[in-house]
Amino acid sequence: MKTHFKALARFRKALLPVFGLSLLLIGASAVVRLDLMDLVRGLPRGLALLRHMVPPEWSAMPRMVGPAIETVQIAFVGTGFGIVLAFVFSLLAASNVNANRALRELARGIMSAERALPDLIVILLFVAIVGLGPFPAVMALSVSAIGMLGKLFADAFEEVDPRSLEALAAVGASKMQVIQYALIPQVMPSLIANSLFRFEVNIRLSIFLGVVGAGGIGSELIMATRLLNYRTALSAIIVILVLVMVCERISDALKKAVIGHEVLQ
Amino acid sequence: MLSVQNVAKRLPDGRPLLKDISFEAKKGEFIGILGESGVGKTVLLRCINGLTAPDSGDVVINGGDTVVKVNGKRGQELRVIQQRIGMIFQGSMLVKRLSVLENVLTGRLGRISTIRSLLYGFTEDEMTVALEQLERVGIKNLAHRRAETLSGGEMQRVAIARALFQEPYLLLADEPVANLDPKNTEIVLDYLKPLAKEVAIVGVFHAPELVSKYCTRAIGIRDGVVCYDGSPFISPSKLEDIYGTERAVCTTSVA
Repeated sequence: MKTHFKALARFRKALLPVFGLSLLLIGASAVVRLDLMDLVRGLPRGLALLRHMVPPEWSAMPRMVGPAIETVQIAFVGTGFGIVLAFVFSLLAASNVNANRALRELARGIMSAERALPDLIVILLFVAIVGLGPFPAVMALSVSAIGMLGKLFADAFEEVDPRSLEALAAVGASKMQVIQYALIPQVMPSLIANSLFRFEVNIRLSIFLGVVGAGGIGSELIMATRLLNYRTALSAIIVILVLVMVCERISDALKKAVIGHEVLQ
Repeated sequence: MLSVQNVAKRLPDGRPLLKDISFEAKKGEFIGILGESGVGKTVLLRCINGLTAPDSGDVVINGGDTVVKVNGKRGQELRVIQQRIGMIFQGSMLVKRLSVLENVLTGRLGRISTIRSLLYGFTEDEMTVALEQLERVGIKNLAHRRAETLSGGEMQRVAIARALFQEPYLLLADEPVANLDPKNTEIVLDYLKPLAKEVAIVGVFHAPELVSKYCTRAIGIRDGVVCYDGSPFISPSKLEDIYGTERAVCTTSVA
């Protein structure tokens, strides 16, 4: 009997929040003028667009290869510089590396501010500063790695068993040597896994950067739509799909090669 | 070889932990330090090798040709001294993702140049010596295994090899067998004991039985001062001095 009442009490307790949230959701829908009929009314137009898109313009494929490679290059170089930047910031931000509290807080602050800015805003900032093209794109990707990747690196550093670091300090090793011989080896799997993940994120961002004018496959897509070449646009979309999938596969395989193999040992 | 003179250390909250500790250790000695948990045995070892600075008192190390004071040194100056003090920690504290051999090689990081250190440039000679040290503790065959794949006893032997590779004037051991089963305890201490012929060893132990079996001398600490200094075969009444009544009753009934 008692348990029955308890269950009922729990149900009643949940009732109010659920009711409140539902009300909020309905209210918000009204504000954004959520109207499913819009979707239905748009359907014929969507179908027409789709009809214009198929079959894809296969003959456009060969000239998409170059831009696709450019997109990968932007992501690759951006990830590379991003790792370097994130690494520097994470060393400054990790309490077991940097004993200077003020400097640490500063690094943490910059990282958290960068994290608060969505990647796309950072990118638009750089487009505003440096203009369009691959260079600002690389800069944008590098800087937007500071927040997320930097924090992941710093957290990985701080999780290392402090006693293993002290054991090296006890043999007279300098701070640099403790970092090189004890800290880095122990966080390597995490550094690699997070860096590869960042590369996957950067591939997507790099495609988007193309759409806003950085070149690469994204530019091909936006150009084709502007010229109303919907069949070419579909070709670009297919290339993008393949590109993202292939990159994810490669990244997964690398991750397995470096880390999975170690776990098995 | 080691002279600890009137060392005192307060806890961060200001309570006195070590009040006045003095003793000397010579080559050929294996000193076992005993005392209740929290009496400051580990802090004493840390004061000796400079990881912690004592509030007052001196720690002097005599390496034959060099006599140095550990306390009052900082930075590079301190690291030069630490380079010649081997320390074996409770639970060994290896870099788990480096190989056994690499862990031993890190014993000389305090000695090699920055360039060599950055390039991981250990010489053939150093490799050979490091392997010899592993052979001395009977695990040369494990040299290329990753440290994390070793058992607790094997890790502790790697730690001994790392300390030996430092060519130490002094060997410190902080509860070196605390996490080991009886068999591995015996193996590790059997390897440690004969080293006293080359270098003074100061170890912290939780079990008086181990001190009787392996050490040449025992030091008891209570209330921040040395309350016993002498034979490793400690009489029940002396054990009572070190641990207080309850523990003494317990350990003597076992022995």
